[in-house]
Amino acid sequence: MSERSHVVPTPEGEYFETNRFGGLSMIAAVVAVAGLVLCVVAAFLAPRQFAYSWLFAFAFFFTLCAGCLFWTLVHHAVDAEWSVVVRRQLENIASLLPIMAIFFLPVILFRHHLYEWMTIPYGEDHLLDTKRAYLNFWFFLIRAIIILGFFVAASWFFRRTSVRQDRDGNPRFTLAMRKVAIASIFGFALSLTFGAFDWLMSLNYVWFSTMWGVYIFAGAAGSSMSLLVLVITWLRNNGYLKEIITIEHYHFMGKWMLAFTVFWAYIGFSQYMLIWYSNVPEETEYFILRNTESWNLLSLLLVIGRFFVPFALLLPRATKKIPKRLCMLAGWIIFMQLVDMYVVVLPELHRAGMRLSVVDFLPLLGIGATLVFFYLRVVGRTSLFPVRDPRLAQSLRIIN
Amino acid sequence: MRTPSGNKVYAIAAEYPSAAALYEAAKRVRDAGFKRWDVHSPFPIHGMDDAMGLGKSWLSAPVLLGGITGFLTAIALTFGPSTFIYPLIVHGKPTDWRTAPAFFPIMFELTVLCAAFTCFFAMLIMNGLPRWHHPIFNWDRFSRATNDSFFLVIEARDPRFTEQEAVQLLQESGGQHITVVHED
Repeated sequence: MSERSHVVPTPEGEYFETNRFGGLSMIAAVVAVAGLVLCVVAAFLAPRQFAYSWLFAFAFFFTLCAGCLFWTLVHHAVDAEWSVVVRRQLENIASLLPIMAIFFLPVILFRHHLYEWMTIPYGEDHLLDTKRAYLNFWFFLIRAIIILGFFVAASWFFRRTSVRQDRDGNPRFTLAMRKVAIASIFGFALSLTFGAFDWLMSLNYVWFSTMWGVYIFAGAAGSSMSLLVLVITWLRNNGYLKEIITIEHYHFMGKWMLAFTVFWAYIGFSQYMLIWYSNVPEETEYFILRNTESWNLLSLLLVIGRFFVPFALLLPRATKKIPKRLCMLAGWIIFMQLVDMYVVVLPELHRAGMRLSVVDFLPLLGIGATLVFFYLRVVGRTSLFPVRDPRLAQSLRIIN
Repeated sequence: MRTPSGNKVYAIAAEYPSAAALYEAAKRVRDAGFKRWDVHSPFPIHGMDDAMGLGKSWLSAPVLLGGITGFLTAIALTFGPSTFIYPLIVHGKPTDWRTAPAFFPIMFELTVLCAAFTCFFAMLIMNGLPRWHHPIFNWDRFSRATNDSFFLVIEARDPRFTEQEAVQLLQESGGQHITVVHED
C-alpha cells in the first residue's frame, strides 16, 4: 500500500566486500595489537589501575554487544516487521560476544585488585560473612561461565539460524527462532542482571541495589540502538543497503533511542530517589562517592547529557527523520554510555576524586579495535540483510 | 448548490470495492487539488496519509503545551508550599531547590496527565467531536463504512468543488454508486 510496493529485494542479497576495506581492517588490526600489548605493559606497571580501566572498557563494549542481542531477541519474540532489514547487523554485532567472553579473562586474573571481598579473610567483616554464600570466588566463577555461556550460545544460535534461512527461505526457521527467543528473554534478563551484580555492583560489597540490573540494561539497550544507527549509516555511506533501508527505518530507530533515553532516566532516577529518600548508610555510600568531589561533575553530566539533551533533541519528528542529525545524537548517546560506565567503575579506584589516567584509554583502544577488526570479517560473510526472511517484503515498505 | 428537492448539498460521495481501489482514488483526488474531502474504511489503510497528502497533524503542538503546563503546575504545587509558604524539614532533607528529587515524580505525573488530557480533548476538537449527527449519514449505503465497504467523500464547501468535476473524477477513479449527499 505504499510508493515502495514495487521494490523487490534481489534474491541473492547484498554483500559487503571486505577486501574493499583492507586499509581500515589493517588499521584496526594494528591498533588492536598495539593497544593490547600496551595493556599487558600497563598490567605489569600499574596492575590496580589497569584492572579498573579494563573492567570499564569491558563493561562498555559488553553492554553494546549484549544490547544488540537484546534487540534480536525482541525482534523474534514480538514478530517485528520493521527490524527485519537491520537485523543482520544486530546479529553481526552480537556475534562479537564470544570475543568479549575471552576479554573477561583479565577480570578474573586481576580479581584481587577489583573485588575487595575476594581478599578479606573470613571472620573479619560480619557483613561480608553473611554474604559469603553468594560472594565467594568459585560461585562467582561458575556464574560468570553460565552468564557468558548464555550470551555466546544465544548470539551464535540466532545468527546461524538466520543465515541458514538465507539459503532456502524456510519459514520454519522463523518459527523456531521465535520460540527460542521467548525462552531466551528470560535467560537474557537473568544473565545481564547477575552479570551486572557480579562484575559491577560487587565492586563495593557493602552496597546493593535491586534496580542495578535494569539500570545497566537500560543503558545497554539505548546505546546499542544508537550503535546500530551508526553502523547502518556507515554501510549506507559506503553504498550498501541504499534500496533497502529508508527514512522510515531511521524513524523507528530514533523512536527507540528516545524511548530508552526516557527509560534510562526513569530507572536511574528511581534508583537514586529511593536511596536518597530512605537514607540508609549501606545504600547511600554509592551516591555519596559519586556526588562529591570532581565525580559530581561527571554525575551531573550524565543527568544532563544522557537524559535532558537527547530527550529534548529526539522529541521532534524531524530529528528522527534526518539521518545526519540522528547519527550525531547516536554518537553522543554512545559517548554518554562510556561516561556512565566510567562513573560506575572508576570512582571505586579513585575515591578522592576523578583522575583520568593514560591506562584508561588502552583497554578501550585494544578491545574496540579488536571488535572493529572482527566485525569487518563477520559482516562480509553473509548478505547484509536476511534475504529470505518471510517478512522482508513488509519490512521494506513499512511506514510509521 | 441544491438538490432538486431544495436541500443544500453536503457532498458527492462514491463507493469503492476494495482498499486498493480507494487508495488509488485518493491519490487522484489529491492530485486534482481538492482540500475538503475524506475517505472512510472499516480499518486503517497503511500509507493513506500520503495518498491523501495529509502531512503531519498539528496535534503535537497542543500536547507539548499541555505537557509544559502540567510541568509548571507541578513546580508551583511542590516548591510553592514546601519552599516558600510552609517549609518543613522532613528526614533531615533540605527545603530549597536541593529537595527537587522528591518532587520529580509529581512533575513527571502531572506532565504526563496534562499532556494526555490535552491530547485526548484536542483530538476530539480537531475531529469536530462530539456531535449528534453528520450529513454523510443521510446516505443509507454509508452504514457499510464500518462493515465491508470503502467510501470517498468530496465536500461541497471545497473551493474547487463543482458537481461535474467531482462526479467525473469519482467515475474515472472507479467509484460506484456515485451519490449527491444532501445536508439536513
